[in-house]
Amino acid sequence: MDTFTLFIILLAIPLLTALAAFTCQLLGTPRAVLTAVHSVGSTLLLLVSLFAVWTVYQQGELLAGHNWLHLDGLSSLFLAILGVIGFITGIYSIGYMNHELEEGEVSLKSLGTYYGFFHLFLFTMLLVITSNNLILMWAAIEATTLSSAFLVGLYGQQSSLEAAWKYIIICTVGVAFGLYGTVLVYANAANVMPNPGDAIFWSEVLKHASLLDSSLMHLAFIFVLIGFGTKTGLFPMHAWLPDAHSEAPSPTSALLSAVLLNCALLVIIRYAILISAAIGPEFPQGLLLVFGLLSVAVAAFLILVQRDMKRLLAYSSVENMGLIAVALGIGGPLGIFAAMLHTLNHSLGKTLLFCGSGNVLLKYGTRDMNAVKGLLRVAPLSGALFAGGALALGGMPPFNLFLSEFMTVTAGIRAGHLWLVLLLLALLTIVLAGLVRMIVMSVLGKQPDNVSKGELGWQTTAPLAVLMVLMVLMGTHIPQPLQQLLKQATTIVLNGDQAGISELHALEQQLPGATNGAEKTALNTVLNTATNTASHSSAQEMSRE
Amino acid sequence: METIALATMLLPFIGALLIALSPQRYAKVLCTAFALLATLGMGWLALSYLGSGKTDVTIPLYSFGHTQIFGFVIDRVSTLIGFAVVSLGFLISLYSCGYLTALNREHPHDGSNRYYALLLIFIGAMAGLTLSSTILGQLLFFEITGGCSWGLIGYYQSPKSLRSALKALIVTHIASVGLYLAAAWLFAKTGTFELTAIAQLSDADKLVVFGGILFAAWGKSAQLPLHMWLPDAMEAPTPVSAYLHAASMVKVGVYIFARAIMSSDTVPHQIGVVGVVMATITMVYGFLMYLPQKDMKRLLAYSTIAQLSYIFLALSMSTFNSEMAFDAGVAYIFNHAYAKSLFFLVAGALSYACGTRMLPKLRGMLKSMPLLGIGFCVAAMAIAGVPPFNGFFSKFPLFAAGFSLTGEHWWLMPLLIVALIESVASFAWLLMWFGRTVPGEPSPELASAQPLPLSMKLVLLVLIVMSLVSSVIAANWLN
Amino acid sequence: MTGTLLVNNLAGLMIVTSMMVIAARKPTVSAGLYALQSLVLVGIFLSLASLFDAHELYMWSISAFITKVVLVPLIMYRAFRKMADPKADGGVLSTAVLIMIAAIIVLISYFATKPVQLPMLTDLKPVLAVSLGHFLIGLLCIVSQRNILKQVFGYCLMENGAHLTLALLAYKAPELVEIGIATDSIFAVIIMALMARRIYRTMNTLDVQKLISLKG
Repeated sequence: MDTFTLFIILLAIPLLTALAAFTCQLLGTPRAVLTAVHSVGSTLLLLVSLFAVWTVYQQGELLAGHNWLHLDGLSSLFLAILGVIGFITGIYSIGYMNHELEEGEVSLKSLGTYYGFFHLFLFTMLLVITSNNLILMWAAIEATTLSSAFLVGLYGQQSSLEAAWKYIIICTVGVAFGLYGTVLVYANAANVMPNPGDAIFWSEVLKHASLLDSSLMHLAFIFVLIGFGTKTGLFPMHAWLPDAHSEAPSPTSALLSAVLLNCALLVIIRYAILISAAIGPEFPQGLLLVFGLLSVAVAAFLILVQRDMKRLLAYSSVENMGLIAVALGIGGPLGIFAAMLHTLNHSLGKTLLFCGSGNVLLKYGTRDMNAVKGLLRVAPLSGALFAGGALALGGMPPFNLFLSEFMTVTAGIRAGHLWLVLLLLALLTIVLAGLVRMIVMSVLGKQPDNVSKGELGWQTTAPLAVLMVLMVLMGTHIPQPLQQLLKQATTIVLNGDQAGISELHALEQQLPGATNGAEKTALNTVLNTATNTASHSSAQEMSRE
Repeated sequence: METIALATMLLPFIGALLIALSPQRYAKVLCTAFALLATLGMGWLALSYLGSGKTDVTIPLYSFGHTQIFGFVIDRVSTLIGFAVVSLGFLISLYSCGYLTALNREHPHDGSNRYYALLLIFIGAMAGLTLSSTILGQLLFFEITGGCSWGLIGYYQSPKSLRSALKALIVTHIASVGLYLAAAWLFAKTGTFELTAIAQLSDADKLVVFGGILFAAWGKSAQLPLHMWLPDAMEAPTPVSAYLHAASMVKVGVYIFARAIMSSDTVPHQIGVVGVVMATITMVYGFLMYLPQKDMKRLLAYSTIAQLSYIFLALSMSTFNSEMAFDAGVAYIFNHAYAKSLFFLVAGALSYACGTRMLPKLRGMLKSMPLLGIGFCVAAMAIAGVPPFNGFFSKFPLFAAGFSLTGEHWWLMPLLIVALIESVASFAWLLMWFGRTVPGEPSPELASAQPLPLSMKLVLLVLIVMSLVSSVIAANWLN
Repeated sequence: MTGTLLVNNLAGLMIVTSMMVIAARKPTVSAGLYALQSLVLVGIFLSLASLFDAHELYMWSISAFITKVVLVPLIMYRAFRKMADPKADGGVLSTAVLIMIAAIIVLISYFATKPVQLPMLTDLKPVLAVSLGHFLIGLLCIVSQRNILKQVFGYCLMENGAHLTLALLAYKAPELVEIGIATDSIFAVIIMALMARRIYRTMNTLDVQKLISLKG
C-alpha cells in the first residue's frame, strides 16, 4: 500500500464513521445499528493506526500528499496513544451511554449526536497529528475545539452549557494566539526561504530554521506557547479545563484529557523543535520550565481541596501536563525521553480514572466526594481498579507513572536543577496526598443505603482492567518496540543536538543484544536523518556567514 | 540461586493476586501458605549461601540499555535480614488467622481479602527490598511498602485510622524524597543505579547521596524529625502493628542506611556525626514519651522509636571504621524484630482475650494466662537488654564498640553515657509495668479472658524461643 | 510613498472601527460595524497588492470580501437578531478607559515589533504594530464585555488582526492558506452562535456574569 493511501484510509475511517452516525441519527435507526457503526469505527481506527505506527517503525518518516501529511517517530507515538485510548474509550462509551440512555439522561437522538461528534473529534485530532502544514495544524486544533464543544455540552444542563461556552471561548481565543504565532513563523519563513511555497511545511521550515529572524521567533514562541498551551491546559490558561472535563460525559473527559491535551502538546513540541533550531534551546526550554512548574504547583494545591471527583482529576491533568512541560524544559535525552514516556503513561492512567469516575457517576448519580462513599463495597472491581489507578497517578510503584516521574527527577539532577527537583518532589507529594484523600473519601468507607450493590457489566469494567494491566506492564517492563518508538520520538525532539544524540546512541549501543536487525535499521535511519538534518543546517549557517 | 531469590520475591505477589481473585474464606489459608513458601525460599537461599562458603554474589536481573535497573545481592546481611522479615511475615499471617475473627473481643471482624493480599504484597516488597542490589530497586520497594502500609494502617476504615494512615503515607513519602534524590544523584554522577557505585563518588557527592538516604531512613524508621506517623499508626490491627512497626517497615530505613554504608568504603564524617547526634536526641525523646503512655501499643511505639535510635547509633558509629559497631547494628535489627514483634503480639493477644490493652486495667497476667505473662516478661527483658535475652547481645557489642571509639572521638563519650542511662531507665520503666501487670491476682478483665486460638499460641511460643536464641543465630551468621 | 501612507492610514482606521465594534451597545449594530471594519481590511489588502504588485493579494481581497464583509456579518446578524438581553449590554469598563487601554496596547505592540528586521517592512512598521495591537484589542473586547455575543466579536477582531499580519508578512502565500483560515473562522462563528443560542434558550440570559455555577 502506498503512503498516501494509508493516510487517506486512516483519516477516512473516523470521518466516515462520524457521517454514518449522523446519518443513523437522521434516519432514526435503532440503537443496535448505531452501536454497531460506532464499534466498527473504533476497532478499525485502532487497527489502522497501529498499522501506521508499525509502518513508521519499519520505514521511518512518511510524507504524502505533496508534503501536507506527515508521520514520524514523534507523531506516531501520539498516533498510538490516539488509537489505543480512542478504542478503549469507544468500548467504554457503549456501556456508559447505554446506561445513560436507559436512565433517560440522554435521548436516542443525542446518542447519535454523541457517536457522531465522538468520531468527528477523533478525526480532527488525527488531523493535528498527521498534519505537516503549519496552518492546517492550527486549523485542526481549532476544529478539535469546535467538534468537542458539543460533546462537553451534551447533557444540555445549565452547568454543562456554561462549561461548553467557557471551553469554546477560552480555547478559540487561546488558539487565535496560536494562529498569530503560526503566522509569524510562516511569514518569516516565506520571506527567507529559497522556495516560499515550502514555507508552510513544518519539515521544510525545519531544514531552513537557521535563517529565521531571531526576535520574531522569540515573539512567535511566546504566542505559540500561550496559544496551544491553552489547549494543553497549562497554568494560567487552564481555566476551561476543569469545567469542560467535569461536565463532559466521562468517556469524553477521558478523551479530552488523554488525547486532546497531548495533541496540543505535540504542536508545542513541533514549534519548540523549530524555534530551538532557529534561536537555540534556552529560550523555549526556559519558558516551558516556568509554565510547567507553575502548572504543577497550582494544580497540586487545587487537587488537595476539590470536592468534585472529576474536577480533581481535571486538575491532575493540569499537573501532569505541567510535569511533561517541565521534563521538556529540562531537556537533554533523558528529560525528553521522560516527557515522552510520561505523555503515554499519563494517558493510560487518566483514561482509567475518568472511566472509573464514570462508573461512580452511574452508580451514585453524583461526583461529590462527600456523597460518594464505599465504592469498594458497592462495586469491588471498579473500586479496586479506581484506587489502584489513583495510586498510580500519585506516582506509586510498580505502576508506570512512577517510572517517568523518576526519570524526570533524574534528568533534572543531571542537568543541575537541584532545587527545582526538590520543589517538584514536594509538590508531587501534595498531589499524592490529594489523590489518596480522594480514595479515602470515595473508595473506602461505608456504602450509602440508597445505592445498590454490583458492577455495571463488562463493558464498563473490562476497559479499566485492560488499562490497569497496561499500566503495570509499562511500570515493570516497557516492551522493546515501544522503547524504540520512544527513542525515535526523543531523537526527533533532540533534532540535531549532536551531544544528546550521541548520548542516546550510546545508550542504544549498550543494549545487550536486545535489538534485532529491523529495529536497529529503523533507529539508525532516524538517527542518520536527524544527523543529516543537523549537519545540513549547520552547513547552511556557515554558508550564511 | 537466582531462581530461588526471584521466586521468594515474586511468590507473595502471585499469592496476593490469587487472594484478590478467590473468595474470602480461602484468603487466610492462601496467605499463610504463600508466606510459608516465601520463608522456605528465603531459608533455602540462606542455606545455599552458606553452602557456597558465604561468598557474596550480585545477580543483575533487569537492565535498560547498559544501566542495571534491578538485581539481587546475596550476602550475610541481606540473607539475615531478609530471612527475619519474611519469616516474621509468615508468623504474622499465621497469627492473623486467629486474631482477625469474629471472636476477637476488641475488633470482632473476619479478615478480608484486602487484608491478606496487602500483607502478602508487603512481605514480597520486604523480600525485594532486602535483596535489591540497586538503589532504584530500593526506592521501588520503599514506595510499595509505603502504599501497603497506608492500606493496612487504615484497614478498619474508621476516620481516625484513615487519618493516621494518610499521615504515615505522606510522612514516609516526604522521606522518600531523600531516596529519590540519592538515586538520581547517584545515576547522574556515575551512570548507574548499583549501590556499589557509591564507593566511586567524590566526597561531596557522597555527602548528598548519604544525606538523602539518611533522610529517607529517618522517615521510614520514625526518627526525629519524621517520627510523628508511628505512634498514630497504632490504629492499625495489632498483627499489622507487629509486622510493620516492629519487624519490617521501620526496619526499611535502617536497612537501606546499613546497605549504603556497606557499599561504600568510606563515609563522610559529617553523616556519622549527624547520625549519632540525632539518634541520641531521638532516643531521649522516645524515652520521655514512654512516661505518659497507658495504652500498651502506644508505649511500644515509642519504645520502637527509641530502639531504632540504638540501631542508628550503631550504624552511624560504624562510619568511623568500626566493623564491630556495624555488626552490632545489623544484629540489633534482627534481634529487635523478633523481640518487639513478640511484645506487640502479646498486646494483640490481650486485646483478643480481654478486649482491652490499657495497661492499668491489666493485672495478674501470669495467673490467668501464663503464656502471655511469660511472653510479656521475655519481651520486656529482651528489649531492655537483660542477659541472656537477645537484646543484650546486640546492645553489649554496641556499647563496647562505642567506648572503644571514644579514644579517637572523645565527643562520643557523653552521648554514649546518655544512651546507657536511657537503657537503664527504660529497663526500670518496663520493669515497673511488668510488676503491675504480670504477677498478682487477675483483674476482672483478665479473669474473664477467653482462651487464645492455637495459631496465636503457637506464634507466641516461637517468638519467645526466638527472643532467646536469635542473637546466637545472628552472631554466628555475621561472623 | 503615497502607497505606504495610505496603508498606514487605513491601518489606523482599523483600530478606530474596532473600538466602535466594542463600544456599540447592540450586537446587531456591532455586526454592521464589523462589516465596515472588514471593508477597511479589504482596502488594505488592495493597496498592499498594488504596492507590492502582488497578484495573490488581489485574490485575497476577493475572498476576504466574501467571507468577512458579507458572510460572517450576515450570519451574526441573523443569529443575534433573535436574542436580546438588555441587562447584559455594556461592559465592565467605560469607553474612555477602553480607549486608553487600547492606546497602551498599540504602544506596547510598537515596541514589541521594533526589533523585527525585515527589508520590505521599513515603511510599514506601524502597520505591523497595528496588526499586533488589533489582535490584542480583540482580546480586550473578550475580557471586558458582559454580553457573550460581544465575546464572539472579540474573537473576530483577533482573527482580523492575525489576517493583517499574514498579509503584511507573507503576501506571496498561496490562496489556499488564506481560504483555510477564513473557512475555519466562519465555522467557529457558526458554532459559537449555535452555542450562544442554546445558552439563551436554556438560561434566558446572555450575561457572562450569570454563568457562574462552576467554580474552583
